[in-house]
Amino acid sequence: MKITLTVNDEVHPLEVEPRRVLADVLREDCRLTGTHLGCEHGVCGACTVLVDGRAVRSCLMLAVQCDGRSVRTVEGLRGPGGEPHPLQRAFSAEHALQCGFCTPGFLMVAAGALAADPTIGEDPDRVRALVESNICRCTGYEPIRRAIVRGSCPGSVA
Amino acid sequence: MWSRREDERLLTGGGRYVADLVVPGCLDAVFVRSGVAHGVLSAVDCSEARRVAGVVGAWSAADFPSGLHVPYTPSAGLSAEEAVAGREWPALVKERVRYPGEAVAVVVGEDRYRAEDGAAEVAFQVGPLPAVVTPRAAADDSVRLFDGLSNVAFQGAAGEPIEESVWRRAAVVVEAEYRQQLLMPTPMECRTILAVPGGDRLTVWSGHQAPHRLRGQLAALLGWPVDRIRVVAPDTGGAFGSKSAIFPEYVVVVFLAVLLGRPVRWIEDRMESMLTATRGRGQDQRVRLAADADGQLLAYELTIDADVGAYPHLGAGLPMQTARMATGPYRTPRVYATVRSVLTNTMATYPYRGAGRPEATIALERSMDALARRLRIDPAELRRRNLLPPESFPYRTPTGRVYDSGDYGAALDLALETLDYAGWRAEQARRRGDPSALPLGIGLSCYVERSGGEPGGLHEFAGVEAREDGTVIARCGSASSGQGHETTFSALVAEELGVDQVRVELVEGDTDELPDGVGSFASRSAQVAGAALRQACELLVQEARARAAGLWGLPVAEVAWSGGAVSPARGGAAMDLGELVKATGPLRVEDRFESDMGFPFGAHAAVAEVDPELGTVRVLRLVAVDDCGVVLNPMIVKGQAFGSAVQGLGQALYEGIPFDDDGVPRLANGLLDYLVPTAAEIPPITVKDTCTPSPGTPLGAKGAGESGCIGTPAAIVNAVADALRLADPGVLRMPLTPDVVWRAAR
Repeated sequence: MKITLTVNDEVHPLEVEPRRVLADVLREDCRLTGTHLGCEHGVCGACTVLVDGRAVRSCLMLAVQCDGRSVRTVEGLRGPGGEPHPLQRAFSAEHALQCGFCTPGFLMVAAGALAADPTIGEDPDRVRALVESNICRCTGYEPIRRAIVRGSCPGSVA
Repeated sequence: MWSRREDERLLTGGGRYVADLVVPGCLDAVFVRSGVAHGVLSAVDCSEARRVAGVVGAWSAADFPSGLHVPYTPSAGLSAEEAVAGREWPALVKERVRYPGEAVAVVVGEDRYRAEDGAAEVAFQVGPLPAVVTPRAAADDSVRLFDGLSNVAFQGAAGEPIEESVWRRAAVVVEAEYRQQLLMPTPMECRTILAVPGGDRLTVWSGHQAPHRLRGQLAALLGWPVDRIRVVAPDTGGAFGSKSAIFPEYVVVVFLAVLLGRPVRWIEDRMESMLTATRGRGQDQRVRLAADADGQLLAYELTIDADVGAYPHLGAGLPMQTARMATGPYRTPRVYATVRSVLTNTMATYPYRGAGRPEATIALERSMDALARRLRIDPAELRRRNLLPPESFPYRTPTGRVYDSGDYGAALDLALETLDYAGWRAEQARRRGDPSALPLGIGLSCYVERSGGEPGGLHEFAGVEAREDGTVIARCGSASSGQGHETTFSALVAEELGVDQVRVELVEGDTDELPDGVGSFASRSAQVAGAALRQACELLVQEARARAAGLWGLPVAEVAWSGGAVSPARGGAAMDLGELVKATGPLRVEDRFESDMGFPFGAHAAVAEVDPELGTVRVLRLVAVDDCGVVLNPMIVKGQAFGSAVQGLGQALYEGIPFDDDGVPRLANGLLDYLVPTAAEIPPITVKDTCTPSPGTPLGAKGAGESGCIGTPAAIVNAVADALRLADPGVLRMPLTPDVVWRAAR
């Protein structure tokens, strides 16, 4: 089936089998391997990307469902000049990653929420809810929580 | 701008894990697995699978050479010839299925979708046999996994048997039984292997902790010299001990890549790993702990029935780690621990973060709290009376370890102070007088662990190379799976050589880069590989001075080294390393370093509130004080301590594998059934450290990163037992689900 995905502002005309999940198409057809598959049943959230600005588990969505829609992955988080997203800097500053496998998913969950509401970092409960949505086995989450606060509120240190 | 060298690529989608590697023409392998835990396999038929579009081939054991089996792991005594004798682990099931998920066939396709299409067409039957999933059930041999052989695959002991008179004469003897439940390490990246033939060589990419070990195992499997195989561990998405072995799937993938002459990969998915990834822990324990009326420990006996899974090849000897560490941090004069490793219908047990030490600590520390209750001595005071004092080191334990150094009391004091122990005791007393308040308990856990490895595996290889452009390449046999080696080791080498960090690059996890290597496990990288790198730096400096001496016609003693440059000691222009290489040719040193074992220690403390009506546990505070000697990178070590404390919390409260009567785990919903902690479960945790350098390693570093799995579980369980004032600590079987706690509270 012919579809068109706009991924990180780049148009990808694709021929995909209807059964292929979005994560596989991003990784294999678009060669964007920053989106990781941690469980393939929608629990861990490592594969989270933004579809039309909303965070989705790309292991649970078919690529054909995204025909004509806009997808943002971790490769598209940098700014137009190539500068890192504040969340990317904050994750590093707070040691919010160790092995890095779950990291793109947490970044995209947070980036989507922050884009929808730039004040989210000021609400501890909402930040906590964001962190609760994904699984990390290395960090124990607290550094991720701090990083989201730090990346959401320029100048703040949680 | 980036805290760790790894961060930029991992935060921008530039990481390269095995599944991210693009290899033209690569085939995907998918395994067909038994849904039955124990049974007799008959009639595997792959013919329909072979007709599926995009399927390149399908194989059952009958299509393979009969000798294609999984080798056992002799490293660190994990397994032994006597344990595996007569017990072959075929790469694909031949006649007998021994654990649920064991592979009966493999299908290779042009991509994973096609390989899975083919796998769905493989027909086979397994005639079920009774399954045994606990060591106690398996040990009587009423159901045998291997016909004619006992399920008891290995036995061992540490220490000397304790005479009955010791128990008879003791003022108090605590007796209890504990279950260390099976756990799943659950790195976020499951297992991966990609085998790429080229010329007369094979390159194997795998998220792996010990690439040189894997290279040797694969060479033996293929009957090739090791130099025809290159193993590379690229970015690896966590391991926690579980990625240092060779597995049936790896044997199959490598065999097929060579057979087909094409790249083949296996990217394990989570549902597969639920059944077939190695498990950790798995011990049924009985303890006796004797003390006099003042609480001085007299004797401790630990009897272990260990669940080592269906095949003894990976971890039959692992429970000996628990036996040898049974003494713990106390000066108990008599300690005796025995191990019986029993086969069960479960995937093999293998090291998982802590690897034998959590089992030792949890048994002893739960018993210490029970003893304190019996004697009506404050549990902190009871520990103080028995902890080895700082002047006792080196200390040879009754179970054969030689502890290097420690100030166990200082760690306990810092934990109590950080927790506000007295304040929480007051709050506990207040609640005990208030019928409307939920009961609250305080739990302590003092631990000592072992790092670096076992004799025969306490060494590592390292090399340092100076290049004409002034850069330095450091190489070592470690392999990072999230520990930030590029950051820590590059900084270490820069400091040793006195050069700017940006000039140093670390290369590891590639067997073509260094002739030999051991790997990253047993908390060994900083302690052993770090020391090996330091020694290599010293050799490089010696060689640089010798070369400069030759160049300048000076005695070596008159060549100084400072800031990455040689200079005549009596004055004259300095020559930077890069210039020296230009003048004298390539400069590369390699060396092998051997360490002693390290014995990190610490004290963890938890406060928990229990709702006896609902059986729920709310951890209000957790304090972890760890001492791993000299710390090379405090932020990285602290991060690992925190993360491992959360894994310890998982063992105490959430993680476990329930089995149906047919021996199949009830994990059909994956990570919705196997409950690794999420952010919603994290209590306020404070991580602190003390520093007692190890005299056995030149850096003074002991191992880091496993402390929370070792120290935290008993602190939490003890807090719950304290809240409920339980006389028999054994009724709290981990994980402390609401069901377990509710029953214990009755």
